[in-house]
Amino acid sequence: MSELAVPAVRRKEGGSAWRGRLEHLATHVVVILLMAIWLIPTIGLLISSFRPSADVQSSGWWTFFFQPAQATLENYTYVLAQAGIGTGFINSLFISIPATVIPVFVAAFAAYAFAWMSFPGRNILFVVVVGLLVVPLQTTFIPILRLYGQIGIEGQFLAVWLAHTGYGLPFAVYLLRNFMGELPREVFESAAIDGASPVTSFFRLAIPMSVPAIAALVIFQFLFVWNDLLVSLIYIGAANPENDPLTISIASLVGNFGQGWWYLAAASFISMAVPLLVFFTLQRYFVRGIVGGSVKG
Amino acid sequence: MSLVMRATLARAGVFMASFALVASACAASSTPSPAASSAAASTAPSGSAAPSASSSAAAGASATPAPLPSPGSSEIAAAKQYASTLGTNIGGSVTVLAQWSGSEQQQFLQMVQPFIDATGVQIKYTGTRDEPTVLQTAIAAGGASLPDIAGIPGPAQMQQFASSGTLQDLSSVIDMNTYQSQAPASLVQLGTVNGKLVGVFLDVSAKGQIWYDPKIVGDLASNPPASWTDFQNLIKQDTSKAQAPWCLAVESGAATGWPATDVVETFMLKTYGPDVYNQWWQGKLKWTSSQVKTAFQDLGQMVSESYGGANRIVTTNFANAGDPLFSTPPGCLFLHEASFITGLGAFANQTKITDYNFIPFPAINSQYQNAVEGAGDLFGMFKNTPQSAALMKYLVSAQAQALFVAPGEFLSANKGVANYPNPMNQRLAQILSGASSFVFDASDQMPTSMQNEFYKGLVNYIQNPSQLDSILSHLDSVQSSAYSQ
Repeated sequence: MSELAVPAVRRKEGGSAWRGRLEHLATHVVVILLMAIWLIPTIGLLISSFRPSADVQSSGWWTFFFQPAQATLENYTYVLAQAGIGTGFINSLFISIPATVIPVFVAAFAAYAFAWMSFPGRNILFVVVVGLLVVPLQTTFIPILRLYGQIGIEGQFLAVWLAHTGYGLPFAVYLLRNFMGELPREVFESAAIDGASPVTSFFRLAIPMSVPAIAALVIFQFLFVWNDLLVSLIYIGAANPENDPLTISIASLVGNFGQGWWYLAAASFISMAVPLLVFFTLQRYFVRGIVGGSVKG
Repeated sequence: MSLVMRATLARAGVFMASFALVASACAASSTPSPAASSAAASTAPSGSAAPSASSSAAAGASATPAPLPSPGSSEIAAAKQYASTLGTNIGGSVTVLAQWSGSEQQQFLQMVQPFIDATGVQIKYTGTRDEPTVLQTAIAAGGASLPDIAGIPGPAQMQQFASSGTLQDLSSVIDMNTYQSQAPASLVQLGTVNGKLVGVFLDVSAKGQIWYDPKIVGDLASNPPASWTDFQNLIKQDTSKAQAPWCLAVESGAATGWPATDVVETFMLKTYGPDVYNQWWQGKLKWTSSQVKTAFQDLGQMVSESYGGANRIVTTNFANAGDPLFSTPPGCLFLHEASFITGLGAFANQTKITDYNFIPFPAINSQYQNAVEGAGDLFGMFKNTPQSAALMKYLVSAQAQALFVAPGEFLSANKGVANYPNPMNQRLAQILSGASSFVFDASDQMPTSMQNEFYKGLVNYIQNPSQLDSILSHLDSVQSSAYSQ
């Protein structure tokens, strides 16, 4: 009996461990598969950027694996040699940094007020701000451009800064308000008992504890602005080409009939360098939880 | 029709890649604007300066961007001399917005350099294929952010801009006598709205040319078939030399179908002449009329004789329509396309005249043998400043236009330009200047809703030739409402 029972137990234990490993493996396979699907277009683009233009036009990027010797940097040298790419790069930085800092800063104030200060109409105001999320930014071009024309700032960096601030704020306020609302009430109550004003609580408590959310927001907003073509084209493009960002310089690599599109792969990787840098620099803030340990006991 | 494919997919790819990094929350940012259709016709970059090796050879040679051929120094000096008569010390700046980007943009800037040198006027140029969107928005917003000078997407938009009063009257800006003597009368007329000249053509393209490889079918250019019947006989005779007589491809993103409109338009013009042609786009001729139906059937004939059949036609980008001309063995003998095809697809890597050449569309009705369909880039002036007026005068002058055609991609609308860089361009220019009548692309002049249905109808017809009657009667019903709006 016992001789029979022991293997039975062992078999059971061995079976569950084996099943656990199998499930683990299945999860890994699914995750890796999803990642591969997600990455394939980017990998294709990366490979295309190193292929000679004649090949890009005549065959798919995967054929590169059968003739890797043809890798070339000519697309990159062509793109970098174009007039306007350098200025476009500087202009893009000049547009993206303020257009990220301003909305995040304003949104942080607003989010704190919505989360921790009570004032009449708070909820209605918040609903209105969140409701603005569904307004397509394309519908605002004409009235805003008209306004800019009247105050005379069309074609200037200020015009895009303000526009991106407006377009970014609803999402920024929504994200930060929800994050700050989740912060432990006790922290703010203790601070208030110790005599901290709302301003002190904001700068000393709310902001440091919200760093992960702010970092996420900075990434979103920066990418949104950095990648933007349409907003810059409308508010700057026609009036003052000197301030055109990188996206406009890149789009103009392609001719009227679409000729030259093969340079876009290389150009997009040049353009992606900065967002990648921003992403990897800020990524660790996602992981580092500041809230953990802030409430003792 | 002339418009302009946009490599929308390729462009979307740029942005897609960067937001693949993070969640898709930023997806809205760079949505390419719906590129309105536009009438732009320009000859595109021809990399033909560097003769390429056969396609099997290492691709490096043909892929390296060839430096732009420069105009001769005497031409530059002449242009500078002319520019200095417009004022040597104007200073200031002028903003220009156009659809020319890539190498077209370089050629435009090369053309205006002597103007900058002579007058001291800075030119702030933006080239974007989203130009129609930018212009429409700027006009709707009251015009404060409009550029001084801009390309106009097409005759229909020009009418609209002119009637809303945003386009300046050019007859007080440029020397009308010179302009009228140098530009074809039909182009002057096309640029005139309510008696005011508001648009000038800075380049033209000749539609309805038939392209071929002389190594396969022989030197037809010096001995072209006298009539459509002769041409048909020639095709029968050469039929064993390729897999199919014709090449055709109509894919062009949202404007898929337009290359086929050019074929129908050519048949309309060459069979029934400019009067019937004009009535047709003006909405005065029914789509179900025998003339339009015959033109569709002529296209249907070409489709049935085309390489790869209907599937290839509707799924292949028009830029690559002629690629099988140069494959071994050849996929087809002939391609019907406008003059700008020389810069696109496989043409860009071939050598003019030795690798490919063209004949004008043979006469179907000898009466209309020299009637030519064309398209071109219209320019207008939105703000009248001393700088923009001087630039406008410069742009239409024969001296400036001579610089524009020098790299071999553009054809000038100015009859005073004679020094084309190669015999093929010279011949194309002669066809345009020697036209008994010049008509503008019909589909580009139709109301937008009509134009879009025309495209769709043709794609439908190519795939389902048996449904011609229902397609045409649908177009009739669109016609009855489209023109009254």
